[in-house]
Amino acid sequence: MRGYFAGLLAFLAAPALAAEGERITVTGEIIDTWCYYSGVMGGPDSVVGSAHHTCALWCSASGIPIGLLAEDGTVYTILKLGAQDNATGGDTALTLASHTVTADGMAYERDGINYIIVEKVVEDMGIVNRTHEDYDVVPSFAIPEPKE
Amino acid sequence: MIRFATAFALIAAPLAAQDFSENSEARSWNLYAEVPALFEAKVVDVMCELTGDCPANCGDGDRQLGLLRAADGVLTMATKNNQPAFTGAVVDLLPYCNQDVTVDGMLIEDEDFPVRNIYLVQRIKAGDGDWAKASEFTKVWAAENPDAKGKGPWFRRDPRILAEIEKDGYLGLGLETDKEFKEYLFE
Repeated sequence: MRGYFAGLLAFLAAPALAAEGERITVTGEIIDTWCYYSGVMGGPDSVVGSAHHTCALWCSASGIPIGLLAEDGTVYTILKLGAQDNATGGDTALTLASHTVTADGMAYERDGINYIIVEKVVEDMGIVNRTHEDYDVVPSFAIPEPKE
Repeated sequence: MIRFATAFALIAAPLAAQDFSENSEARSWNLYAEVPALFEAKVVDVMCELTGDCPANCGDGDRQLGLLRAADGVLTMATKNNQPAFTGAVVDLLPYCNQDVTVDGMLIEDEDFPVRNIYLVQRIKAGDGDWAKASEFTKVWAAENPDAKGKGPWFRRDPRILAEIEKDGYLGLGLETDKEFKEYLFE
């Protein structure tokens, strides 16, 4: 019984320990995680790609976490993006907003959130998700109306 | 055996979803999956927490910050601050790096999406101090961008955002595509 209890204790305590990383290469879109998770602007399909590009710039510049939305639907919160540490409004994050990229780095999971520390952006395919064709622009005021 | 069952219950409790809404005064944002949540936590550098790579002062603003909840050890991601202005929470939480605080705000929780442990922080309190609103981003931005004074919200005046739009347009697909789209949008 004592051995069983100790095993159970170890199993239950495991999530509290440092997470184990896994080296991955993953392809996906650099997204704005707040709008994607919260639904504040609409459904998840409308807050990605070209329709949401301007808002993605706004959120990224303010340090809202960016994510990598992989082809299988997994969202990896990006903690580092390439050579620079700064994934809190850094220039690389702004330049790659809404772009589809292939990234190489270390992936972690903790408490239901996936993370990636991107060591290298292997390929940048630019913006390929042309969501403005379905959603125009999200939010609708992202593009200011021309002055008469 | 009863002692074993009690020990099991105590250990397993943190793994079950907990309700942190008691005493929360969080303001609703009318989000589909928002859950008011007031809890005690330690402000942590998320990358440090995961990897053990821990620069001074939680990265001095260059690292994403999380809230390591005291009740169950869950790491929540501090994703958004209190301002309805496309603003993150790093600026508001950085002064509390590695400190124990009480936070009030909204968790985003939806098992079906799935999403959990994403947090919008509305106010912060350290120890017996007063509550501070998590609304510092725009003040700090204004101080860091003295040449961007003018009318309109910060995100319409931010030099880096304006440079990106000037280069690739509002859709990010190039200026020619932007021009055609704007003609359609505002026709």
